[in-house]
Amino acid sequence: MIDRQLDRIARAIEWILALAFILAVLLNFTNVVGRYLFGIALLGADEVEVFIMVAMTFLGAVVVTQRNEHLRMDVLVRLMPKWARLVLRIAEQVLLMLLAGFVLKQSYFYAGQMLRIGRTSDMAGIPMWIPHGLVALGFTLILLLAGWRLFTVITRRDVVHAAPESGQVRE
Amino acid sequence: MTFALFVVPVVLLLVGFPIFMVLLTAVTVALVFFMHVPLIVVHQNLFGSVNATPLLAVPFFIYAGELMGRGSVAQRLVDFVQGGVGSVRGSLGVTTVGTSAIFGAISGVSAATVATIGKVMVPAMRRAGYPEAFTAGLITSVGAIDVVIPPSIPMIVYGAAAEESVARLYAAGVFPGLMIAIMIAAYVMWRARREKFGAGEPFDLSRFLHATGRSIWALGAPVIILGGIYGGIFSPTEAAAVACVYAALVTALIFRELSLREIVEAAAATVFFTGQILIIVACAGVFAWLLTVNQVPAAVTAWLQHLNVSTWMLLLAINVLLLAVGCFLDPISAILLLSPLLVPIVKAAGIDGVHFGVVVTVNLAIGLFHPPFGINIFVAQSVLGLKLETIYRGIIPFVVIYLIALGLITYVPAISLSGMHLLLGK
Repeated sequence: MIDRQLDRIARAIEWILALAFILAVLLNFTNVVGRYLFGIALLGADEVEVFIMVAMTFLGAVVVTQRNEHLRMDVLVRLMPKWARLVLRIAEQVLLMLLAGFVLKQSYFYAGQMLRIGRTSDMAGIPMWIPHGLVALGFTLILLLAGWRLFTVITRRDVVHAAPESGQVRE
Repeated sequence: MTFALFVVPVVLLLVGFPIFMVLLTAVTVALVFFMHVPLIVVHQNLFGSVNATPLLAVPFFIYAGELMGRGSVAQRLVDFVQGGVGSVRGSLGVTTVGTSAIFGAISGVSAATVATIGKVMVPAMRRAGYPEAFTAGLITSVGAIDVVIPPSIPMIVYGAAAEESVARLYAAGVFPGLMIAIMIAAYVMWRARREKFGAGEPFDLSRFLHATGRSIWALGAPVIILGGIYGGIFSPTEAAAVACVYAALVTALIFRELSLREIVEAAAATVFFTGQILIIVACAGVFAWLLTVNQVPAAVTAWLQHLNVSTWMLLLAINVLLLAVGCFLDPISAILLLSPLLVPIVKAAGIDGVHFGVVVTVNLAIGLFHPPFGINIFVAQSVLGLKLETIYRGIIPFVVIYLIALGLITYVPAISLSGMHLLLGK
């Protein structure tokens, strides 16, 4: 039940980011066309595109975490017995929670500082707490996912659920 | 500190933890237990590493490849190349090489090329009586050309990690990529002649012209990408964005093969793969910062200078290291893990950073299909239904060809740098 809801949330994040990404492509294309055909440029478009990429990085990592498809070297793990893989998966989720919590604390603090001083991006005037807050948001969601996965691995003894699926490498 | 920078990453890597966690753990352990700097540097470096316009080319090129790979582009390119080389013995094999090279100039995604071109060419080669192991080895290995011929995602990542111009790296990759393609094509023709398979058909001008007409829009993509970059019209990032729009227009409006929903689905797939890659880029940025402030690259460089290792030996040692790493790690992770260490060393040895970028890329390209764990092997196995043992048997001659090419590219810098001088004039 919760797994299904998490899948839906991940899918929703993926589609929202996909639409934002298409916007980034169109902004970049418009800038090229504008520069060569009309001698004008969309000021701040570069910043918007890069901030969309920042969102794709840290929120996209949430989607990858939910699908358990982070890139890893799982050659040795595949050769291990089931109990060893189970122990490793539990350790992985605990470590991921610690790391996500650590980064979340720093990112939340940094985004908060940006909000307090009212810093905006140079050209587009975007409040800088937004892109910095995306890092905090991404690691918050990763923390929650790792917590849920730890619970499921321990309660279900479900090594397959948490075992590396060997992320699809694109190159 | 050695524990944080080397022991922790190696152990976590070996036990199969995600690469981004490996890097982030090393950084966290170093900062919390061994260093006295504000912990906020973690966020600053994570954010700063991906807050970079040149990296936009990564998702843009992935998207262009996703769009072009979903329609009939592969079949059109195959028909075009086959129409031109159909009269030579082993023409289907040569067509596989040629089409992969052209497709690589559109997408730069190796696994996608193996799957897309393989779906068209493997059944055709089976019908024509090509030996199964030969077919398996060929289709599994040709995809690696794609990461050498621009646009190449690993080259963008290397450019960001080593602070080298992506346009220069792309220009430097052209001749090495073409050289590998020619070497494989020559081997294909030699094998076909020796084992008497794949007889050619007489050249048919009308068929060739018809195929050219059908593929003209597909061929426009590499012309726009490479012509735009080398003509000084676009930056690589802009060329990638233009390629995306071009690919969307061609596949949706001209070929009428993609709906609006499929265009968004391709974007969603791009988001996913970008999330996989750039989270590692972000964490590698913090790791590289950590190495730099602890003066690790400088210490290693000084140690090597003390050993008085010749440039020739240094490159040989690096090649062996990269080939070994490439057998187990994907190119992007390997580049991000090793560049902070290797780039200062090779620059101190007087090796050109662009030339070294091509050497790194070719090494890691070999890892894409090198037994036992090259990702393209598993793509060929799952998507094309080829048996693992058949692939392993068939791939050996192609590994040898790539290794010969690697030796030439490593020790004859002109193969890489002449392309850069010719195309960019510097």
